[in-house]
Amino acid sequence: MLSEVTMVGQIAVKASIGVLLGSLGEIVTEKSGVLNLGVEGMMLFGAMAGFAVGSITGNAYLAASAGMVGGGLLGLLHAVFSISLQANQVLSGLAITIFGSGLAHFLGRPFINARGVTLAPLPIPLLSDIPVLGKVFFSQSILAYTAYALTLILYFMLTKSRTGLVIRAAGEDAAAADAAGTPVTTIRYASTVFGGMLAGLGGAYLSLVHTPGWKEHMTGGQGWIAIAMVLFSVWNPLWAFCGALLFGVLTALQFAFQMWGVTAVPQYILKMMPYLLTIMVMAVIHLSPSLRRKSGAPGDLGRPFSREG
Amino acid sequence: MRKGLAVMTCLALALMITGAAWAQQDKVKAAFVLLETIDDQGWTTAHYNGIEYLQEQLGDKVEISFTENVMAPADAERVIRDYAAQGYDVIFATTFTHMEPMVAVAPEFQDTVFMHCSGYMTADNLGTYFVRMYQAEYLAGYTAGLMGYKNVGTVATHPIPEVVRGINAFTLGLERGLTESGTEFDPDKVNTVVWLQAWRDPINETTLAETLVAGGHDLIRQMADTADSSLAACAGGVPAIGYGTDAAFYGADCALVSTVLNWGPVYTRTVEQVLAGTWETEQYWGGMDEQGAILSPFGASVPPEVQEKVLAAQAEIEAGNDTIFTGPIMNQAGEEQVADGVALTPVQLLAEMNWFVQGVSGSLPE
Repeated sequence: MLSEVTMVGQIAVKASIGVLLGSLGEIVTEKSGVLNLGVEGMMLFGAMAGFAVGSITGNAYLAASAGMVGGGLLGLLHAVFSISLQANQVLSGLAITIFGSGLAHFLGRPFINARGVTLAPLPIPLLSDIPVLGKVFFSQSILAYTAYALTLILYFMLTKSRTGLVIRAAGEDAAAADAAGTPVTTIRYASTVFGGMLAGLGGAYLSLVHTPGWKEHMTGGQGWIAIAMVLFSVWNPLWAFCGALLFGVLTALQFAFQMWGVTAVPQYILKMMPYLLTIMVMAVIHLSPSLRRKSGAPGDLGRPFSREG
Repeated sequence: MRKGLAVMTCLALALMITGAAWAQQDKVKAAFVLLETIDDQGWTTAHYNGIEYLQEQLGDKVEISFTENVMAPADAERVIRDYAAQGYDVIFATTFTHMEPMVAVAPEFQDTVFMHCSGYMTADNLGTYFVRMYQAEYLAGYTAGLMGYKNVGTVATHPIPEVVRGINAFTLGLERGLTESGTEFDPDKVNTVVWLQAWRDPINETTLAETLVAGGHDLIRQMADTADSSLAACAGGVPAIGYGTDAAFYGADCALVSTVLNWGPVYTRTVEQVLAGTWETEQYWGGMDEQGAILSPFGASVPPEVQEKVLAAQAEIEAGNDTIFTGPIMNQAGEEQVADGVALTPVQLLAEMNWFVQGVSGSLPE
């Protein structure tokens, strides 16, 4: 039994890191008041950029950085459209997903069958010897450890630090924040680019760690799951970690149950669960105004800000 | 449902001569409607390899065009009609969902030959083509069995007859190999099937293969498009058997062998018929005898004596002695599904294969 738990846990964590990185970035972006539906395109572009640079330079760290830069550039593009030009954020985000995917596929053609670099699992001494948890959490790749650290850092940054306060202010009530002297536009730009960078890193995780290599459409909708996880987590990085882990567990179980001949839970139900849970969380939040206030939903989410009103 | 149910209901009826007279030509313009890009590393890459073979074989006698990423039926109809209107002599549609669009366009262009892959609808100027992949799958299973692998994990795609037929053939070959090599095995469980519920999904192909490796399976059978499940097997220290294209080409050096969809010969054959003006409506289902499905070169870990035995079995099939689905064959419940000496009919193979042979562990979702 313990070995089965370890097995599913290890696969689940591995399967959850891309989604986790994407949703951590999206939380910061949304907290500043910008909705970014371009995560899927940014992840795919990051996956391509990361693998391509790894293939050219042979350096896995440069590769992961390239994924971040690629995602960050698309984040910048989204910021220009949705903040400076005050375009509809939904449309801008969807356009970035289409553009990012197309560009990744176009630029990625030479790397389709290329040999690249991978980031192998790097067990942490001592910690990886802990029964069950050691194998599950501490025998992963360096990008997984980065994601754990970012979860904690972003949680404290958003809730306890001054930086977090101004980000939240920009997203909660941009006009009031502006009146109080907060540089709303700068904060939103920085948060959107940061979100793009984490999405790009999530993509690079897929092409460097999860399933090494560049394949067209390889993100397979993980960017959309990441966005759903932001709602599920009620904009809290710690809950995003749990949500991503739950997604990983459900992914691992849909295959493990079949392998073990467990037919009590149909595969379709397991596949559906992340979305179903997200809808349930949203419904609960919407039905209860007091929960909505407490939930952390940014008040000005998706609303462009300009002094002229 | 893209590779589709090749439900070729009445093979005999389909060979009707239509009376349409085709003129002999010096040069043929051939067009291909492709599902994804030629770089999808799976289904469409295999078709593209066939296109390249066709160009090589016929040189300047054929002028080829193709359109990628044609998924939605409405798109398919537009692309097919465009090619026909531009005067292409033969148009190939390469996936199941292109069937109805092609059937809709074909009557409007009586001088154009239409060929649809993996479907079952025909017209005077519309034929179908598919290959007997299950023959190669049988030989791949035989290879694994001869080498003593008795706890295979299969990364299965969608539960439709084409895929089930492949799993059954693989398992029958595996059991024959295990018996011949004198390996003891559990008659109820030599091949565990887990459904991906997708044709191509690299991330989950990897996760599924990792789950099977962690579950203690001694060989991973890839059936999804990309080589990622084979690569995951290699990374986990377990051998693999590739599918569709040669997995070793993508770096899966642990692959014993791959079962390869080889569309080149059927494309060449069809275009030659159009050149000669002898093309007739048919439902082509080419086997290893016509190189429609082939085995890739063997991996380094396959012993020469195993290779010899597999090649001998392949020669039997190529000579037309395909007894893979000839009884006695037991089903999962241990009952006799196919009686001794009885061979399954094409309809039973193509449309009615909704049961697993004994030795498969796993179920068919409704």
